[in-house]
Amino acid sequence: MLRINNLHVKIEGKQILNGLDLTVNAGEVHAIMGPNGSGKSTLSHVLAGREGYEVTDGQVLFNAENLLQLSPEQRAHKGVFLAMQYPVELPGVNNMTFIRESINAIRRARGQDEFNTLEFLQLIREKAAQLQLDEKLLKRNVNAGFSGGEKKRNEVLQMAMLEPQLAILDETDSGLDIDALRVIAQGVNSLRSAERSIILVTHYQRLLEYIQPDFVHVLVNGRIVRSGDKQLALTLEQKGYNWIIEEDAA
Amino acid sequence: MRSALKNDQENDQTPIDDLIRSGYAHGFVTPIESDTFPPGLSENTILKISAKKNEPDWVLEWRLKAYRRWLAMEDPEWAHVKHPDIDFQSMSYYSAPKKKESLNSLDEVDPQLLEAYNKLGIPLEEQKALAGAAVDAVFDSVSVATTFRKSLADAGVIFCSMSEAIQKHPQLVQKYMGSVVPYSDNFYAALNAAVFTDGTFVYIPQGVRCPMELSTYFRINEANTGQFERTLIIAEAGSSVSYLEGCTAPMRDENQLHAAVVELVAMDDASIKYSTVQNWYPGDEQGKGGIYNFVTKRGACRGKRSHISWTQVETGSAITWKYPSCLLIGDDSVGEFYSVAVTRGRQQADTGTKMIHIGANTKSTIVSKGISAGHGQNTYRGLVRMSKGAVNARNHTQCDSLLLGDQCAAHTFPYIEVMNPDAEVEHEATTSKISDDQLFYCRQRGISEEDAVSMIVNGFCKEVFKELPMEFAVEAQKLLNLTLEGAVG
Amino acid sequence: MKSPVQNAQLQTPQQRQQLQREWFQQLVVGAEVDAEYDPDWLLPLREKALQSISTLPLLNRKQEAWRYNRVDNIFQNSFDPLFDNDLEQKICIEDIGLPAIDSYRLVFINGRIDLSLSELSELPAGVILTGTAEALRTIPDQLMSSFDHLHQPGEQLFTALNTALFNDGVYLHVNQSVTLDRPVEIIYLNNNLTRSEQHVGSMIQTRNIIDLESGASATVIEHFISNNKHEKYFHNNFTDINLADDSRLRHYRIQDESRLAYHLSNVQITQHRRSRYFSTCLAFGGLWSKSAVRVEFQAQQAECDLLGLYTVGDQQLTDFHLDVQHRVPSCRSSEQFKGILYGRGRAVFDGRILVDRQAQHSDAALTNDNLLLVRDAEVNTKPQLEIYADDVKCSHGTTVGRLDPEQLFYMRSRGIAEHSARKMLCQGFATDIIESFELQQLRDYASEKIAHTLNSVESEMEHKNGH
Ligand SMILES: Nc1ncnc2c1ncn2[C@@H]1O[C@H](COP(=O)(O)OP(=O)(O)OP(=O)(O)O)[C@@H](O)[C@H]1O
Ligand SMILES: [Mg+2]
Repeated sequence: MLRINNLHVKIEGKQILNGLDLTVNAGEVHAIMGPNGSGKSTLSHVLAGREGYEVTDGQVLFNAENLLQLSPEQRAHKGVFLAMQYPVELPGVNNMTFIRESINAIRRARGQDEFNTLEFLQLIREKAAQLQLDEKLLKRNVNAGFSGGEKKRNEVLQMAMLEPQLAILDETDSGLDIDALRVIAQGVNSLRSAERSIILVTHYQRLLEYIQPDFVHVLVNGRIVRSGDKQLALTLEQKGYNWIIEEDAA
Repeated sequence: MRSALKNDQENDQTPIDDLIRSGYAHGFVTPIESDTFPPGLSENTILKISAKKNEPDWVLEWRLKAYRRWLAMEDPEWAHVKHPDIDFQSMSYYSAPKKKESLNSLDEVDPQLLEAYNKLGIPLEEQKALAGAAVDAVFDSVSVATTFRKSLADAGVIFCSMSEAIQKHPQLVQKYMGSVVPYSDNFYAALNAAVFTDGTFVYIPQGVRCPMELSTYFRINEANTGQFERTLIIAEAGSSVSYLEGCTAPMRDENQLHAAVVELVAMDDASIKYSTVQNWYPGDEQGKGGIYNFVTKRGACRGKRSHISWTQVETGSAITWKYPSCLLIGDDSVGEFYSVAVTRGRQQADTGTKMIHIGANTKSTIVSKGISAGHGQNTYRGLVRMSKGAVNARNHTQCDSLLLGDQCAAHTFPYIEVMNPDAEVEHEATTSKISDDQLFYCRQRGISEEDAVSMIVNGFCKEVFKELPMEFAVEAQKLLNLTLEGAVG
Repeated sequence: MKSPVQNAQLQTPQQRQQLQREWFQQLVVGAEVDAEYDPDWLLPLREKALQSISTLPLLNRKQEAWRYNRVDNIFQNSFDPLFDNDLEQKICIEDIGLPAIDSYRLVFINGRIDLSLSELSELPAGVILTGTAEALRTIPDQLMSSFDHLHQPGEQLFTALNTALFNDGVYLHVNQSVTLDRPVEIIYLNNNLTRSEQHVGSMIQTRNIIDLESGASATVIEHFISNNKHEKYFHNNFTDINLADDSRLRHYRIQDESRLAYHLSNVQITQHRRSRYFSTCLAFGGLWSKSAVRVEFQAQQAECDLLGLYTVGDQQLTDFHLDVQHRVPSCRSSEQFKGILYGRGRAVFDGRILVDRQAQHSDAALTNDNLLLVRDAEVNTKPQLEIYADDVKCSHGTTVGRLDPEQLFYMRSRGIAEHSARKMLCQGFATDIIESFELQQLRDYASEKIAHTLNSVESEMEHKNGH
C-alpha cells in the first residue's frame, strides 16, 4: 500500500530525513519510535503533504501512485489521514460543521453521496459515544481552547469518521490520561482491518500493549536504523536508544 | 512556507487571485425614463427639489439653513481614506423614474422597475416578498414602492417614504428629523439635509412589536447622480422593530456619491435593530469607478432601558466612511455595534462606531471584524466616551483584522475617553492572517483550500453574522463568499 | 484675579493662536545661547530653528499629538529662557532622597552641568560621558549625525525651540563591545529662577545624545526633580539615542518634577540589527507633563520593550505618546503602560504601532491599563495599529476601570481593612512595571513613592469620609 524509497527531506536547508525506507502493506500496523528530533513528525507531514518540506531525493508510492505530487486534500480524498502531534485550532469554525465539510468533501471526491444532516448526526454521535468524547466538544470551535487530551481525542474522532486507508497517528497517545488511552486504543483497534494500514508514532511502549503492532521501527537521524517486532519496543523501553545509535555508528 | 512541489504552488495562488477578480453581480443599468435635474448645486436647486416634493415651508427653510451651513464647512480630511476632491457641481441632485402623479398600488409601478428589483433578488410584489418582510424600495432619489402597507397599518405602524411622511405626518417628522443628527453635525450630514430627496420613515407606536421585518432597498441607477436619502425610525415606549437595508448600484467608470443620514430614536424599553448589507458597486480592480459611501448613522437611546443595535456587513463601495453610533442617554440603555467590513481591489473602508455613555448603567458592545484583501484598506475608528453621569457604565470592544495577501492594510484607531471612575472599558484588538497550519489542517481533512478559506473567514465573522436576522445572515454569508472568492494563497 | 484656565476660555481662537506664537517668540528673543563654541555645522541649524519658530504650524487640539492635551494652558505663563544655573543655597545630592546607587553621575542644575556635583572618575576606556556643551567643544564631529533627524509632527515647535536654545545636556558614547560597568545616573534639578518679575519661572532646555556602538551596553537612569514641590518652571528635554548592531541599552526615566512644573520630553530611538532597548518610564510629578517616545527599527531582529507607570493627582495632566515604527522585517516591540488616577487630573495615552509593507514577521503588542480611584479624574487613551503587512503578530488591549469590588470583598472577608486592601491592589497593579527595574534600589524607591502617594490618598479619603 505504502512504499517509501530512499526518502531525503530538507527543512530550511537542513537535512532531516536521510534515505528513509519503509514499506507498509494493507492490514499492517507499524509503530515508529525514535528520539526527539529524529524526524518522525517530519515523515508524517511529508506523507500528508504539508508545505515547507523539500524532498531532495527518493519516492513515495501510495497504491502504486506517486503520493508526493498530490495536494494535501487529494491525499485525504485517497484515504491518507494524519492525526497531528499538535492539532491546529480553528477559531470560529464549528467542530461539527468542520467534520461534516470534511467527510462530505471526501465522499464527493470519491463519487459517493454526501451524508445528509440526519445521517451525519447519527454517525458522529455514535462515534463520539464510542470514544467517550463529550458531545459539548462537538458544538465548540475546532480545537479552540481544547485541552491537550481533548484535542487528541478529537483527532481520533475524525479518524473514526473518515475511515481512512492509511492512518498516521503522530504521538496521539501523548497527553492522554490512562482511561482515555484505553478508549482510544479500542477506537484504533476497531478500525483495524485487512484493507487498512496504520502507522503509530509513539514514545511509549504502553500504547503498544493496547494496539499490538506488526512491526516496530526505530528512526534515528532521519533513517530507520532498526526494525523488529513488538519485542523491540520492550527492549527500547528498558535500554533506551543509545545502544542502537552506538551500534549504528559502529 | 512554500512546498517544493510546483503544482502545489499553482493550487495556492488561484483562490486569492479569484477572490481578487471575482465580479460584481449587480452591475446592470435599467433603461428607464427618468426625470433628472441637470448637474449643479445652488439655493435654486434646493428650491426646485422642495417644489417638486411640494414641501411645507419649514422643510425648505431647514434645507436652506443646512445649505448655508454646509457652504461654510470643509470636506473632512481625518479619515484614513484617499480620494480626489469631489466636484459637487458636477452631479445631479434629483433623479426619479417618470411616473404617474401618485402610486396607489404596485400595479401602477413601471414594470421595468419591478423587473429591475426582481433581478436584484428583491421582489416587490407582495405575494413574492421575502418571508414576512415589508420592503420600501428607493430607486435613485425617490421611493418607488412600499409593500405590506395594509398589514402594517393595522398594527398602527407607519412605514412609508420620507416624502410621504412629510405630507402625511408632518408633526412627527418636524419633531424628530434632525433631532439626532442635526444638519450642522458634519459636512455630509449638512449636504444631505440641504438636498435629501427621499428615504424611509418608520413609526412604531407605544407598546407595538412590529409584526414583520421592515426593509429598504436602495438602488442608484442613473449616472452622475448623488443619492441623499434620510431614514428616520421612531420607536415609542415599549415598542420594537427590526429594520434591514440593502444597497446596490450599476457598474460605472465614474464615482458616485451616496451621502445618507439615518436617525433612530428609542424611548423607554423600546428596541431598534438596524441591519445593513451594503454592496454598492466597489469600482474595478484598478480603482476606477465605484460609490463613495459617506453616511451618518446615529441612534438616540432616549428612554430608560432602550436598546439600539447596529449590525452591518459592508462589502461594497469604493470608499466607505460611516460610524453608526449610539447616544446612550436613558439609564440602563444598551448600544451595540456589530460589523464586518471587507475591502478588496482598491476599496477603502473607514468605519466604526461611537458609543456615548451619558446615563447610568448604560452598556455597549462593539464587535468589529475587518477583512482586507488585494490592495484593500480597512480602518476601524471608534470612540467610547464615559461621561461624568455614566455611573456603572460598561463597554467591551473587540476589533479583529484579518489580512489576506501582502498588499492590503488594516488599521485600528480607537479613542477611549473615561470621566467616570465607576465605568469600565475594555478594548482588545488583534491582527492576523490565515495561517499555513490552519490551511494544511483543513486540506489534510480533504477540504479544498478555497473552502477552507471561506470556512475560516466565516468563522472569523461568526459573532457578527449571528446578529443578523436569519435570511439576511445566509445572504451575508453568500455575499462574503462571493466577495472573497479565491482570496488566499 | 482670574485663573489662567478661565483666561484661556475667554479668548477667541485667534487670540489664543496669537498668544501661542508670541509665547515662543518671546522665549527666543529673551534667550542667551552660548553659541561661541558651537561647531560650524551647528550654527546654521540653530539659525534655521530660530527662524522656524515664527513659521512652523502652531499646536492645536485638532492635531492628534495634542488632541487631549489642554495645550493652551501652557501659554498663559511666560517663562524665562535661562542662561545661568545659580542656585542660592548649596546643594548636597545625597540629601535629595534619591536611591543610593553606585553609579557614574551627571548633575544638571537648571539645565547646566554642575561638575562639582557630578561623579565621573574611573570611567572605563572607550566611554565618553560628559555635557553636550563640552562635547560640542571637544569632539564636535561625533555629534553631527544626531542632529539630522526628522522630528515628529506636532512636536516641531518645541523641538525647534530646543535646537535653537539648548545650552547643555548629556553626551554618552560607548565604544564597540564596551560594557559600562556601572549605571549612568543623570539628575536634572530645576527651580524657578527668573531674571524678572514678568516671568513665572525658568525655561530649561536640555539636549541629550546617547550613542552605543556595536555590541556596547549600558544602563542610564534619569531623574527629573525639583528643589521643592512648589517650583514653577518648564523643562523641554530632547534625547536622541542611536543603538548600533547588537548593542543594548536599559533606560530608566523617573519624572518626579515639582507639582507646578511643565515637563516635555522627546525621546527618539534608532535601532540597528539585533539591538535591544529596554525602558521603564515613571511619571509622578509635573502640573503638565508630556513624554513622546519614538522608536524606529532600521534593521532586522531589533527589539524594544517600553514600560511605564504614571500616577495622576489633582490638577495634573500626564500625557504619553508612543510611536513604534516597524519599517524592516522581524523586529519585536512591546509596550505596557499603566496609570493610577488618584486625583482630579487627566491622563492621556496614545500608542501607535506602525508596520510597513516590507516589515513581515513583525511582532508588536501594546497594552494600556488605567485605574480610576476617584471621581472627576479623566483618562483618554488611544491605542492604534497601522498595519500594512500580512504576516505579522500585532495586538493591543486597553482597559479603564476601578478596583475590582470582588477582589476588595475577598480581601476584606479575610480580615484586611478596606484601605489596606485598596492599597495592596493598587500596588499589585503596579508591580509588573516596578519589577522591570533591574536595580533593587530603583524597585524599592519606586514602590516607596507609590506607597507614599497611595497613603496620602487613603488618608485624604478617610478625612473626607470623617466629615
Ligand atoms: N520549520 C522548521 N525549521 C527548522 N527546523 C525544523 C523545522 N521543523 C522541524 N525542524 C527540525 O527537524 C528535526 C526533526 O523534527 P521532527 O518534528 O520531525 O522530530 P520528531 O522526531 O517528531 O520529534 P519529537 O519526538 O520531539 O516529536 C528537529 O531537529 C526539528 O527541530
Ligand atoms: Mg514529533
